[in-house]
Amino acid sequence: MTTDAIKAQLTLARPLRRKAAEGIGLNSAAGHLVMVLLSIVCLFPVYWMVATSLRPANAIFETSLWPTTMSLENYTYALDSIPILRMLINTLVVSALTTVVQLLTGLLAAYAFARWRFRFDSLVYTAVALTWLVPFQVVMIPNYLLIAQMGLLDTISALILPNFASALAILLLAQAMRSFPKEVVEAARMDGAGSWRILWGVMVPNLRGTIASLAILIFISTWNEYFWPLLLTRTADNSVIQIGIQMFMTSEGNQWGPLMAASTLASLPVLVIYIVLQRQVIQSFMKSGIR
Amino acid sequence: MADLVLKHLKKTYDAKQVLHGVDVTIPDGSFVVMVGPSGCGKSTLLRMIAGLEDINEGTLTIGGVTMNDIDPADRGCAMVFQNYALYPHMTVRQNIGYPLKIAKMPAAERDRRIQEAAAILNLTDYLDRRPAQLSGGQRQRVAMGRAIVREPEVFLFDEPLSNLDALLRVQMRIEIKRLHKRLKATSIFVTHDQVEAMTLADMLIVMNAGRIEQVGTPAEVYRKPASVFVAGFMGSPAMNLMEATMGADGQVTLDVAGGRPMLRLAGLAEGTPLTVGVRPEAITLMPEGADGLQATVELVEELGGSRIAYCALKGSEIAVVLPPGDEPYEGRQVTLSFDQRDLHLFDRITGLRVEIEPSRLEKPQRTKVAAH
Repeated sequence: MTTDAIKAQLTLARPLRRKAAEGIGLNSAAGHLVMVLLSIVCLFPVYWMVATSLRPANAIFETSLWPTTMSLENYTYALDSIPILRMLINTLVVSALTTVVQLLTGLLAAYAFARWRFRFDSLVYTAVALTWLVPFQVVMIPNYLLIAQMGLLDTISALILPNFASALAILLLAQAMRSFPKEVVEAARMDGAGSWRILWGVMVPNLRGTIASLAILIFISTWNEYFWPLLLTRTADNSVIQIGIQMFMTSEGNQWGPLMAASTLASLPVLVIYIVLQRQVIQSFMKSGIR
Repeated sequence: MADLVLKHLKKTYDAKQVLHGVDVTIPDGSFVVMVGPSGCGKSTLLRMIAGLEDINEGTLTIGGVTMNDIDPADRGCAMVFQNYALYPHMTVRQNIGYPLKIAKMPAAERDRRIQEAAAILNLTDYLDRRPAQLSGGQRQRVAMGRAIVREPEVFLFDEPLSNLDALLRVQMRIEIKRLHKRLKATSIFVTHDQVEAMTLADMLIVMNAGRIEQVGTPAEVYRKPASVFVAGFMGSPAMNLMEATMGADGQVTLDVAGGRPMLRLAGLAEGTPLTVGVRPEAITLMPEGADGLQATVELVEELGGSRIAYCALKGSEIAVVLPPGDEPYEGRQVTLSFDQRDLHLFDRITGLRVEIEPSRLEKPQRTKVAAH
């Protein structure tokens, strides 16, 4: 091929390539635009909550994007009105313990389902899966009666006790354990490891991604739990933060400033977890297939 | 002593029988290779020996002790898996030392054994790496190290070289053989690769459809295949198999190629359907018109050290191993010539070998079959 012919081909190829590159560029820009819009939709309520919490009472219904005057009076009012710190500690204890206990029971049950064959195993597994579909309203009354009979009303333990096991945790972990390489488990058996050692020494260290993402899911859903604490708690000192927030919503009207201040404080721990562990959280969610 | 005795071992999965009563004795210190096509039950048999699969029927004894209900860890067996099965979160040192840690061996002794195994397998420089940071060959060596440190009576290898590239396979094959010579522990190696089987084994067990077809040394299995299956499976290129029938005059005649007489054999009933086999390396190509089977060379594969010619013979294909050379054979008419003593005969109904005793042969010299 002569140099001219090569040049001619290159000249022909260049616009095509540029066109292709432009196509990719446009697609990419459109994708980014959609993502930016979605991010704004997600972030704006959070921003508005923080912004409103910083507006003084007389400017609470201001519609300006940025507060014209800023004050921390809503925070001082909220902190004085209800024991927010106490409630945050309660919520933290309930969420952390529920997460740990659900992971523990989930891991044990999932191992049994994934690794052992016993009579009616698939039936039991289906039954566990079906409990996930039972609405909270159905178990609410029996659970309440049980807790009342045990004399645990208005206690922190009553908030944790009915959440000792979660179908979601069992199903998710069982699935992860089923896809764990069989040969590795068999190698451990040949090496002399029993079920207990295989679970804690071989499986759990390799399922950290799934366990981490599941822990975050359980933690957040427990942190946001409202209805069950509302039924059980009687005093502010034994309440969780979601109940505290609700205390600013009265029949005489909502106290928007303190409400937003308390909501901001309630969101902080979860936000901090996300910001600090952002990379790990996203990685573990992607690895475990949870979106 | 770790003689392994398998007595009438059977295995059934969901009413489907995959092993139909396996009987074999594996002598202490031998290197036994179980070979067979996919799904023949060789891996299942190995896993039954390891204790990873239940034995439905029959007994397994190692060193005289019945092992049917003994836990895998207590059978004195160590296994090397096809996919290495290393613990991804542990370093090479921790992987190799894991069985010793479980056995609660003192740290000093454990470390000594790890170092020793690492030295044997050239892994000393990699002890603090994780499996993900190793190449396939290195990972397989770690898996072997984990087996060695236990000082087992029996090594079980489940297709351990399948995931390696061709060059590494050969290297690892030699390393495994060297290791066996050094440790002298009974080793059972499962593979579907017959080159691996031939090169490694002291004793070959050829399996097919859940049954043992033949047990013997590689040379025995190659030279005297017990069945038409073994004849076709062992050897590359495979043995040429042609259908034949016992004639009235005691001549075994080929069904193809116009009913050519192959050899004269006494003691078989007239009309007995037979399969005649001849190894590709036992055939010589002669010029067209010579005394022998007339065929056309369709294709020649160049292997460097030798060539394989595929010849068309009245609808069937005959492979012939040729010495290296440049002579263009493709498309040429040739004569296939072979010695009667290199022929193998199988009963076509039972598939079993029909022994050709030299005394029963008409002429012991090279037979040239007359052209029609």
